[in-house]
Amino acid sequence: MRILAIETSCDETAAAVVEGRRVLSHAIYSQILIHKKWGGVVPSLAKRAHEERIDMVIDEALLRSRISTHNFLTPLEPPRDVRRPRAIREAQSRKKLASSILTSIDFVAVTYGPGLAIALEVGISKAKELARKHNKKLIAVNHMEGHIYANFAQNSKDKPKRELKFPSLVLLVSGGHTELVLWKGELEFEILGETVDDAAGEALDKAAKLLGLGYPGGPVIEQLANQVSFVDIYKFPRPMIGSKDLNFSFSGLKTSFYYFLKKKSQSEVNKNIKELASSFQEAVFDSLLTKLEKAMRETGVTRVVVGGGVISNQRLRALLRSLAKKHKGEVIFPPQKYLCTDNAAMIGVAASFKAKHGIFVKNFDKLDRIPRLRLG
Amino acid sequence: MSLNTVKILRLTNNSSKVLNDVRATLQKGGLVIFPSDTVYGLLVDATNEKAVRKLIEFKNRPAGKAISVFVADFPMLKDVVQINKNIEERLRQLLPGPFTVILNSKHKTSKLLESEKGTLGVRLPDYERIQSLVKQFGKPVTATSANLSGHPPHYSVDALLKDLPEKKKTLIDLVVDAGKLSRNKPSTIIDLTTSKVRLIRRGDIVFSDAETLVSKSPSQTKKIAQYILRKVKVKSKKEKEALVFILQGELGVGKTIFVKGIGETLGITNIISPTFVVYYEYDMKDGKLVHVDLYNLQDEGEFEHLGLEKYLKPGNILCFEWGEKAGRIIGILHEKARVVYVKMRYIDEKKRELTIQTTE
Repeated sequence: MRILAIETSCDETAAAVVEGRRVLSHAIYSQILIHKKWGGVVPSLAKRAHEERIDMVIDEALLRSRISTHNFLTPLEPPRDVRRPRAIREAQSRKKLASSILTSIDFVAVTYGPGLAIALEVGISKAKELARKHNKKLIAVNHMEGHIYANFAQNSKDKPKRELKFPSLVLLVSGGHTELVLWKGELEFEILGETVDDAAGEALDKAAKLLGLGYPGGPVIEQLANQVSFVDIYKFPRPMIGSKDLNFSFSGLKTSFYYFLKKKSQSEVNKNIKELASSFQEAVFDSLLTKLEKAMRETGVTRVVVGGGVISNQRLRALLRSLAKKHKGEVIFPPQKYLCTDNAAMIGVAASFKAKHGIFVKNFDKLDRIPRLRLG
Repeated sequence: MSLNTVKILRLTNNSSKVLNDVRATLQKGGLVIFPSDTVYGLLVDATNEKAVRKLIEFKNRPAGKAISVFVADFPMLKDVVQINKNIEERLRQLLPGPFTVILNSKHKTSKLLESEKGTLGVRLPDYERIQSLVKQFGKPVTATSANLSGHPPHYSVDALLKDLPEKKKTLIDLVVDAGKLSRNKPSTIIDLTTSKVRLIRRGDIVFSDAETLVSKSPSQTKKIAQYILRKVKVKSKKEKEALVFILQGELGVGKTIFVKGIGETLGITNIISPTFVVYYEYDMKDGKLVHVDLYNLQDEGEFEHLGLEKYLKPGNILCFEWGEKAGRIIGILHEKARVVYVKMRYIDEKKRELTIQTTE
């Protein structure tokens, strides 16, 4: 059962081909083109029409899937100068080959939310177009389901071999999301808690900006905190840490950080920049860990599955590991770095479970993007 | 043996002789493979256009993709990029270190190294070999990994040379082999250039009416939002326009809280910050609430890709956080909507002053 998956929920245009949990190929626009000018670390926030790049990304994923299954050699780089006749010929033959690979695909899957409306629309309309043209069934996937299933993606040798166990707790932390989920069955989710204002990754980005460290801030904050061994000398408030529910809030922390910096001179801030970054990061992670631990106590579930871009942070990983150890549980991280951030492979893996349960889009015309789609 | 065509020097003892050779090769516009704090790097004289072209040819680097440079110290850094006192003070805490700092170029290095916006990435690594080499050389050198574009970087010279086609090897003038490098993470990027988005200026708008209110808590801010909404909604309905709130104020002042307040009266209780995706859309009984955050908008061109104009229909409400960055589209907003300006200011950590202004 082979699935072509498309993901355009925010600023990444991504496509992948999966066979069950096995990822045959995945492509992300920012990796295959000139787009990210600084080695792919600074994301472009331009929502430059995903339309311009979606065909190329899908073709790339299809062609790469052929390489991984048939050892077929096709050029990985897109033609650089389409004015050259050879480049045109190459582009045409790529297109043809991609189209022929598409006929051997069983289903088309696409993210329909949550995310940016106009971005989601591009992926959905392309998925519908391909499914209609090639007479395939369509699978609609929640982006957050994707982040959960990212943990169970496998390489061409079916590794890692991880079992899905229920119930599990899920912590999703990224620039746009912060959610705590009870995963009750393959397609059964219950949101236990979520942010009521800013996402954790967004809080880190904004703190970096307040410290004058530009954007994106997460990696810089992590690097600086690492250099001072994660000290927490300023003890910034942990918002909602005492609340009875399992929700998160980071806007109060942002406000107190702003106010704290305002009272200091620029030069004082500069001199203590590492300690400030580290203390802020500790406050954010402590909030996450406290609510996760609360959820473990309340549900008795100690197996934790995590996902989202912030999960790349080594400090957060260490804290999660020691929490799991304390409760004699386990924590599962996405097996590869690209599976933490937005990608289409995770959408494909989630889709394969939907296909297994026979959940397809019945009426293509009725499939619409849901920008604030929730799990469950 | 193909390897004979590439000159390899081992960096064990006698390093000053090796460094002299490297310097001389760079001076002649040569391409040198040299160890760095992260991976093996490709060094050329960053001020020599011909040498930079050779580097780009070697890497198969698409034109327009920027390349960072190594500098020896702060004086050299200040020589190649624009930097003010405050930024310098901050950078002195971070550098030398595993960071690439992006700043506006002074164009003293080859233009081919810059981004299309004229910015340059600068590295001052905590790595003695690079520091002393660049210091002796007296000019910045390129700091890019010694792999072809799209290929993984290399931690050893053997692996690197194995990966190279013969044709590429002829472009290399010298290889300095320091054995296997420890697998450090690539440098972290800090973009210190400011966004180029036109802000709303005083004088752009003539206000007919202003009202100042004080909020002592988030829940009061929500109540103020609801009061303002009631007040202006009547008018916009009569005139069959969309309603636009332009929210301005520092980080953490309570802009999202204000929008949550508006949402709650309209039956929307799940509003969160839209910073990451730029905007979220919510369904209301007779229209849509669109919650926009222009915080991350870097470039005016991005407006055209947001598709916001299609929301400017009667019955819809649009709230813009960091609305001051809406300078470019302010005319369109005024043409198709009733616009309310909400300026939020810190009085102290808890108290906020809200100034509400409307136009005719």
